[in-house]
Amino acid sequence: MYDQTENTWRDVIEKTLEQPSFAEGLGQVQSQYLQMQGFVNGLTENYLKQMNMPTRDEIAQVASLVINVDTKVDDLTDELEAQLDGPLEAQRKEIDALKKSVTKLDKKLDTIITLLNTSIANQAGPVPSTSTPSPKTELPKTDVKKATPSTDTK
Amino acid sequence: MTTFNTDMLGEWFDTLNNVSTYNWQSEDLKKAKRFQEVLTTDADPIVGQTPKEVVWTKNKAKLYRYQPHKPKTNSVPILMIYALINKPYILDLYPGNSLIEHLTNAGHDVYLLDWGTAGYEDRHMKLEDYIVDYMPRAAKKVLKRSGAKELTMFGYCMGGTMTTIFTALYGKTLPIRNLVLMTSPTDFADAGMYTNWLNKDTFQLDKLVDVLGNIPFEMIDYGNKLLSPISNSLGSYVSLADRIDNDNAVLTWKLMQKWLNDGVPFPGESYRQWIRDFYQENKLVNGTLEIRGQKVLLSDITANLLNICAMRDNIVQPEQIAALNRNVSSKVNVLHEVQTGHVSVTTGRRAVTEIHPYIEGWIRTQSK
Repeated sequence: MYDQTENTWRDVIEKTLEQPSFAEGLGQVQSQYLQMQGFVNGLTENYLKQMNMPTRDEIAQVASLVINVDTKVDDLTDELEAQLDGPLEAQRKEIDALKKSVTKLDKKLDTIITLLNTSIANQAGPVPSTSTPSPKTELPKTDVKKATPSTDTK
Repeated sequence: MTTFNTDMLGEWFDTLNNVSTYNWQSEDLKKAKRFQEVLTTDADPIVGQTPKEVVWTKNKAKLYRYQPHKPKTNSVPILMIYALINKPYILDLYPGNSLIEHLTNAGHDVYLLDWGTAGYEDRHMKLEDYIVDYMPRAAKKVLKRSGAKELTMFGYCMGGTMTTIFTALYGKTLPIRNLVLMTSPTDFADAGMYTNWLNKDTFQLDKLVDVLGNIPFEMIDYGNKLLSPISNSLGSYVSLADRIDNDNAVLTWKLMQKWLNDGVPFPGESYRQWIRDFYQENKLVNGTLEIRGQKVLLSDITANLLNICAMRDNIVQPEQIAALNRNVSSKVNVLHEVQTGHVSVTTGRRAVTEIHPYIEGWIRTQSK
């Protein structure tokens, strides 16, 4: 029964809905409804103002301020993430390069110390071990090495 | 030739009358009781049950990641964009009837950008605000969270049109590998009855937005239901009464009714832009649409395209959808026609058995 009813009426309804006059009628109904709604909105707003109560616009304005703060927090989060992710990677690379340079410098210093020790030893000639402290004791290699890791840690 | 024994015939009529009367009464009462229960006292089914976590929020919008602990076998994540009308849980309607569940179970990393419910304070939000301020950020969050180098954009209905615009604008700056669209209009030259109803001469667009701020869901729903008034009103209840004994059919009916009546208001300025730029001036396909001063050219789209067109759709006409495939520059350019309606393309038996596996397979193939 339903199918029969639908089949009978569907075409008639579709043809009516397709008519330009239907769209015109729809526009007129819409216009009247909006006129009435606009009037009600204005009336409600005036009433709320008279009663010292917040209007819809005023509440929406507060909500907008909250949304603005939310947007700023989101922007800051993005900024922070970008700063943490981007430069941190660059800093890590820089620290790695610095470590390599310090290691190279350490090796060079070792070489210089060795050369200095040899040179001092050659200039001074044979010295009794009991009277003079050895240059090795004055400038121990280990001290230089120990200084390096502490720089890294910083 | 059989001759009638009038006594036997009379008996048969009596029996038939007695049996049918008895059965009719009891069955009918039972059905009527169940019908009344479904409409009044039955609990609403729980929708959107696939486990998810919130990855990012902005204003009312939320970016969800689905089944985060499930192993991901596809390295290209999917970002789903839904329309500003209705709620996106239609994509995750119910266990066993959910596109999102199907995709995540198959090893895809699925994200959904839910626009939320616009408040009166959001009435100034334009479509371009959503496309420029929200979508690129969501895409970046997806890339970061998944650790992926590329992503698949997925759009449904109006969300698909927004995704198309987004892909045209950001295709060069964001690594969008695939673009999947479902029943998404591009060409508005002939939008069926909407073309008549929304024409500039009779439709009071500016007045509507200025007076109401946001457009109530009921108004949009009324327009959609008017496309097929008998089947959209009386028809759905007749269909429920017909299948009231079938629990699965009743569940499906309840799910659909819940979703159909659970709409959200359309932000006023977005509505003005949607109706004017698309339905009245057809700017997108004509190449005259500008989003924050940037011209949107469909030919800028180079991502692999899967455009799904529902041939029995009375909200978006098939021709409105197919126009996109003729205008993009994608090397992989597929228009997939299915024999469903606007909603049954994503939910229901055919969607589950045919369309979901097709989408999953296509994305997997194009992501390799």
